[in-house]
Amino acid sequence: MALKKAAKKTSAAAVPPQLLWKRDGADFLVTNDFGHYSWLKKKDFDSLLACKVGESHPLFAALSAKGFVRDRLDFDGLAAKWRKKNAYLNTGPGLHILVLTLRCNHKCLYCQAAAGGAAAKDTDMTPATARKCVDFAFNSSNPGITIEFQGGEPLLNWPALTAAVKHARARAKTAGKELKLALVSNFSLMTEEKARFLMENEVSVCTSLDGPADLHNKNRCFSGGNSHAVTLKWLKYFQKKNEAQADGYRVFKPSALLTVSRYSLSRHKEIIDEYVAAGLEDIFIRPLAPIGYARNLWGSIGYEAKDFAAFYLKSLAYILKLNRSGVVIREKMAAMMLDKIVNSRDPGYLDARCPCGAAIGQIAYNYNGDLYTCDEGRMVGWEGDDVFKVGSVFKDSYAKVMASAPTRACVVSSNLEAQPDCARCVYKPYCGVCPVYNYEVQGSLWGDMSSSDRCGLFKGIFGALFALLKKPGNEATLKKWVDK
Amino acid sequence: MSKTAKKEGGLVLDAAVYSGEALRLAAFVFSDKAEITLKQGKGVFEVYFEGAGPEFSPGDYLNEALNQQCRLDLAGKNSKAAGMIATRALLSAAGNAGKKA
Repeated sequence: MALKKAAKKTSAAAVPPQLLWKRDGADFLVTNDFGHYSWLKKKDFDSLLACKVGESHPLFAALSAKGFVRDRLDFDGLAAKWRKKNAYLNTGPGLHILVLTLRCNHKCLYCQAAAGGAAAKDTDMTPATARKCVDFAFNSSNPGITIEFQGGEPLLNWPALTAAVKHARARAKTAGKELKLALVSNFSLMTEEKARFLMENEVSVCTSLDGPADLHNKNRCFSGGNSHAVTLKWLKYFQKKNEAQADGYRVFKPSALLTVSRYSLSRHKEIIDEYVAAGLEDIFIRPLAPIGYARNLWGSIGYEAKDFAAFYLKSLAYILKLNRSGVVIREKMAAMMLDKIVNSRDPGYLDARCPCGAAIGQIAYNYNGDLYTCDEGRMVGWEGDDVFKVGSVFKDSYAKVMASAPTRACVVSSNLEAQPDCARCVYKPYCGVCPVYNYEVQGSLWGDMSSSDRCGLFKGIFGALFALLKKPGNEATLKKWVDK
Repeated sequence: MSKTAKKEGGLVLDAAVYSGEALRLAAFVFSDKAEITLKQGKGVFEVYFEGAGPEFSPGDYLNEALNQQCRLDLAGKNSKAAGMIATRALLSAAGNAGKKA
């Protein structure tokens, strides 16, 4: 172990090692790039800043183990921790989103995709294009890839879905890569036959559940029937199949996503209760983003960051209360952030990486084979601005896409070391910025974090998590969320 | 002490605080909202706004100029660390990490 020995007497001229901090009432939260954190009283914080935390100081052992004491830096250990936390810097795009069609049979209030009507087949991916997209995904330098089928409603283009699944499974046998397949669907077109094909090919399924029937159906308009009822029916179907399992293949537990609209803000308990009643153990509380089509409806369904933060805090408190009474449920975004904070692990949350996952962590494949940095970038393209288009599966090589101008621009602009505010923010070791959001909301890839609602929202979430971690009872419960 | 003064139809900014690059980058951000022209004087930049709609405010431009200047200043300090991270990420994604150029 390369250990810098403690000096007998700390030099008054010395400065503490890299340190990020934030005052919270009477206490100070300090973090560093290795991902360590500590809560300090003011006098201890002052001592740390003045390099007066010597061997006799009661916090010496704890702070030096975390890399906060210049005279006691375990370089090997700290470097290993940094590498583990930033392991994604050594791999290429793992998530490959195939947009099988822009058609959808729902008209969700917050849809970012400006989906086309169910009859407009000119925005369907052909099976040949789907196979070409799969081939492109297998060029990734990442040893494990996830191909996620999205839309519109991907079940509206069953021929392309089956073609892509079969081709991907065949390619995986010879490519030496770990392959995961995932479907994001509203389930309205699910049948026993389709479900069987998905399970036999080990395709995991994820749907949207916005809460109780009236709220879900208000957000997710479906002229073909009751969206909520259909969603619950198939959630239960896949849960039963998961519990029973099958010979020869794994059946995954289904999952659901919550999108919070203005109508959701006063109903956190009902929404969480709905998830628990549906047998779901994760709830992913996602805010709306004023990107794509949703931007045009922001006045009627949007809200300020502080409104979402209040909703989120109430939701977390309620989930912890349920946990204490034995109910198993966790909030997914909190779990992913906690995985970074507590375990120094990359949970694969591409929105909170430095640099962000645009192109280097994920690629969105449009129905016609055009490639975008991410699904949000594709939505900007659908509005007529192809600034986030990185190529085409028909024209461009994988290497060319990774070296394209949008890829490089997104990497450089989402690097927190080069972002004012972020570079000094106490949450930097766990956070990330989104160039697409910045571009859509503030007009530049870099954005201005001091006036960014997304930044405010993330700060609210981190603030809540650290406040909860400060209390021993909560800390134990929260750590259980990520102890696997 | 920086100098920021109003001039008819525009602003006068202290060149010791704002670089021309930061002012041009900020102007680009608002290129769909106003026509912004820069003139360099002795120790100052003169910034003029034309064709601006009601949603444009010179104050927003100033905030963005400050943001861009902070970013450029930070890049000067952190460019080594930032460059290493960005290079590693791009080379790994391309499958070239560890290979000699």
